Amino acid sequence: MSALRQVMCRSTASLQLYQANRAAAARWASTATDGGPLDPKTALARPEELEQRNKLSGKITVPTAVNLSPISGVPEEHIRERRVRIHIPPKNAMQSGTDNVNTWQIEFDNRERWENPLMGWASSGDPLSNMNVQFGSPEEAITFCERNGWRWYVDGAAKPKKERVKNYGINFAWNKRTRVSTK
Amino acid sequence: MIRAPLVKALGALGSPTHQMASRAVRTSAMVAQTPAKAPEKIEVFVDDIPVQVVPGTTVLQAAAQIGVEIPRFCYHERLAVAGNCRMCLVEVEKSPKPVAACAMPVMKGWRIKTNSDLTRKAREGVMEFLLMNHPLDCPICDQGGECDLQDQAMAFGSDRSRFTDINYTGKRAVEDKDIGPLVKTIMTRCIHCTRCVRFASEIAGVDDLGTTGRGNDMQIGTYVEKLFLTELSGNVIDLCPVGALTNKPYSFVARPWEIRKVSSIDVLDAVGSNIVVSTRTNEVLRILPRENEDVNEEWLADKSRFACDGLKRQRLVAPMVRMPNGELQAVEWEGALIAVAKAIKAAGGQIAGISGQLADLEAQVALKDLLNRLGSEVVATEQGFIAGGTDNRANYLLNSTIAGLEEADAVLLVGTNPRYEAPLVNTRLRKAYVHNELQIASIGPKIDLSYDHENLGADAALVKDVCSGAHAFSKVLEGAKKPAIIIGADLLERADGAAIHATVAEYCKKLKKPNWNPFNVLQTNAAQVGALDVGYKAGAQTAVKAQPKVLFLLNADAGKVTREQLPKDCFVVYIGSHGDNGASIADAVLPGAAYTEKQGIYVNTEGRPQQTLPGVSPPGMAREDWKILRALSEVVGKPLPYDNLDELRNRLEDVAPHLTRLGQLEPAGDAGAAGTISKSIGGGAIDIKLKELRDYFMTDAISRASPTMAKCISAVNKQQRENEAKQSVAI
Amino acid sequence: MAGREAVKRAVQQVRPILSVDREEARKRALNLYKAWYRQIPYIVMDYDIPMTVEQCRDKLREEFVKHRNVTDIRVIDMLVIKGQMELKESVEIWKQKGHIMRYWKESQDPKPTDFLSKFIQGVN
Repeated sequence: MSALRQVMCRSTASLQLYQANRAAAARWASTATDGGPLDPKTALARPEELEQRNKLSGKITVPTAVNLSPISGVPEEHIRERRVRIHIPPKNAMQSGTDNVNTWQIEFDNRERWENPLMGWASSGDPLSNMNVQFGSPEEAITFCERNGWRWYVDGAAKPKKERVKNYGINFAWNKRTRVSTK
Repeated sequence: MIRAPLVKALGALGSPTHQMASRAVRTSAMVAQTPAKAPEKIEVFVDDIPVQVVPGTTVLQAAAQIGVEIPRFCYHERLAVAGNCRMCLVEVEKSPKPVAACAMPVMKGWRIKTNSDLTRKAREGVMEFLLMNHPLDCPICDQGGECDLQDQAMAFGSDRSRFTDINYTGKRAVEDKDIGPLVKTIMTRCIHCTRCVRFASEIAGVDDLGTTGRGNDMQIGTYVEKLFLTELSGNVIDLCPVGALTNKPYSFVARPWEIRKVSSIDVLDAVGSNIVVSTRTNEVLRILPRENEDVNEEWLADKSRFACDGLKRQRLVAPMVRMPNGELQAVEWEGALIAVAKAIKAAGGQIAGISGQLADLEAQVALKDLLNRLGSEVVATEQGFIAGGTDNRANYLLNSTIAGLEEADAVLLVGTNPRYEAPLVNTRLRKAYVHNELQIASIGPKIDLSYDHENLGADAALVKDVCSGAHAFSKVLEGAKKPAIIIGADLLERADGAAIHATVAEYCKKLKKPNWNPFNVLQTNAAQVGALDVGYKAGAQTAVKAQPKVLFLLNADAGKVTREQLPKDCFVVYIGSHGDNGASIADAVLPGAAYTEKQGIYVNTEGRPQQTLPGVSPPGMAREDWKILRALSEVVGKPLPYDNLDELRNRLEDVAPHLTRLGQLEPAGDAGAAGTISKSIGGGAIDIKLKELRDYFMTDAISRASPTMAKCISAVNKQQRENEAKQSVAI
Repeated sequence: MAGREAVKRAVQQVRPILSVDREEARKRALNLYKAWYRQIPYIVMDYDIPMTVEQCRDKLREEFVKHRNVTDIRVIDMLVIKGQMELKESVEIWKQKGHIMRYWKESQDPKPTDFLSKFIQGVN
């Protein structure tokens, strides 16, 4: 995708350059011999403006470690003092479904909650406690945390499940220990 | 119906893999000789996606491998296959009827359709039958919101009912049973999956539950009226796919969508079970197990699950200082810290610290650092251990590991009752007993371990007999592939504990196998291993002997230290969460956080560090324990060099790097104390503290404060009185 | 964690927002600063806030210096855009007096910073 985009950028850039050259040539020679309409924005632009536009449509080099905390709008106290736990949510022991336990999640350290005296609802002073973001891999979550300036730690890697052999016949085995004692 | 093809399959598939797979059916000698080959996999197609599976895999498991979940009620990964709910019916190409995915092993080249019209129709039919006999209780049912039947009725339930009560007899209704103070039953809701019956007989080893009657009249019950009393009874609540068995203390308390879930660690025994703490409005409502194959599988002992109401009772919510009239009076933090600091200044280095059952590793490190800065080296754990045995980590760990015990084939229990000291270690032993032909013997009083075992006697001299190879059971141990000897932690507090330890350690060197360490100590306190790891001495008497002027009790509530043992002018500082034995003898009480309120590391009995996470904040003015010590250090004028948890963890890493690798095991070497042990094993009977179920429920400050645990004890007593009454009538 | 950092490439190629190099970004920041600087007397007058022009300029400097460590050109651009928006809202009197005064956070109690006072107040 990005490669494609890069190519496209490059092609527009060269097109613009081509058009700019043609416009300049036309202006200097003042011989209107071309066919087809000219883009007035391109035609009237100064060369340095064109160069700027050209650069803007290209790419710039920046450090990979991006810190978005100055522009994310998150209060500073919630950036410096929070620890993010990156984990896979555990399966609910009460249910057998496993649909929600395959993605990585981020979770902030738990802050105080209280019962609202008016309605009895649960209140919290923590704006980040309800932030529930899911990621495909811990690396993505780590990148997200680092960009936002949060300290993080990864809790628990995904362990492969043990292979169990299930066998209906065991219920009726000769072995007294595995034979079903109550039905 | 289902059995026939399976038996055929068993006959046809003579490959070594398959024999290994159906280990439980084995004629064991044959399997032992067959070398383990790489499993030959067969290919099947689930919804046209090819899957390679081991022969003998069921349709349901094959589908799970590619993430297709087949609906089920009776099937459970860790229980035997029952095949009676029929919800998992799927279509198999060229099969005339839908097959039950949970019980049917796959054959080569099968094309399984988990979402075809036939499959859906089959499931809808099953669902209609289930719902016909199920009350529409969802709005008043505690399972509502986390109910398998509710979920699956959304997918396969009909939008109208064909149930017409033409004779006006009403829907099927079943009388509720009283099976104890922990599990509430609403038997009309039961769909007869028999998961609870299978759990009770396979995992818990208590054949109390069973079914009576057939067809529409079938009932789950206890045959005669009696309580379902085991240390694992709470797990049937989780297993029940409907609301027939629900959590009694939690009934009508909250809905699952209101609560927040925090993954944490249980500290009420030394297993370190993984738990999920459910909270709402700064209150712990219930505790559920969290799956961890290495520790608790997905079970949880009753104390860990139900003692959470003890977190709201007997709590210390403000710092207190003992006034001249002998009363503890609540003061501000400044006042309390200054009072303690004054006492510390006056003591001039004659300070000691005792760390109790529930102390987290951070607080233990902070206490040790503080005392070292104040010129004292006397820090000890409340529970005793053999003298000089704490340098070698293998001396006090369950070296075979909890998961490893599943593979053991000969186990000797010395002065321990794993059933009540660590119920989830006992389930592993029981698993090995059932599936691995485990032979178990015990030295100590006669106890019920939920599986057959041989009691060799209670005399301590028997340890010597067995370890010298003279005893009959020595032959069993020496002939075993994976033998293990488990010593109770309480036993090592005896005068001849060191001798017993040394004898067993010596013998275990002989029993040792590659990748298998047979020497085990079963700890009972969650804090013990961590404390010994960071350099605490063992035994409260170590601290008492130093005759300190200031004594710190960090969660030390076992009552091993009394005022009489201490000097008259000794200033006792208690740091902890509950007003129990420790706080009652203290001159200053600094309220700490309980395990659901702090982020702390606990090391379990096999040496696995795991951390708790705060679900709620500490009540009142209580603070996290290490912060109290850090604040105190600043008031004293010797500030500890860490201000936040990360810095403290760095310090912890300096002390013992393995303790910050959370969830991972660091294998220890051979057990054996440094120096020669001259003492020989004295005679005398070995005793165990937790002999019966009633002893199990209250073992620490939190469970002692829990009303539910008190109810459990009275239920056990009541049951026993009734049994005695019945017997006397019979006579 | 450290290993992860080492594996990372130090720089990456991205699309620019406004500026194509550091010099341009610096110019934009300076221009914004100057624009604010010139508008401050009018803001003080229009909003009738109990602050002198000097105090406001100190605050202006403080707000800019707060982000002196930002090196990413795109982040600088976004900060400039946000500052521009603030300026426009202030100059057009889309704000009210309180919004301007919020820069001084007069109504907020300072939070404790050292361990002991944090401990006693019970804040994290």
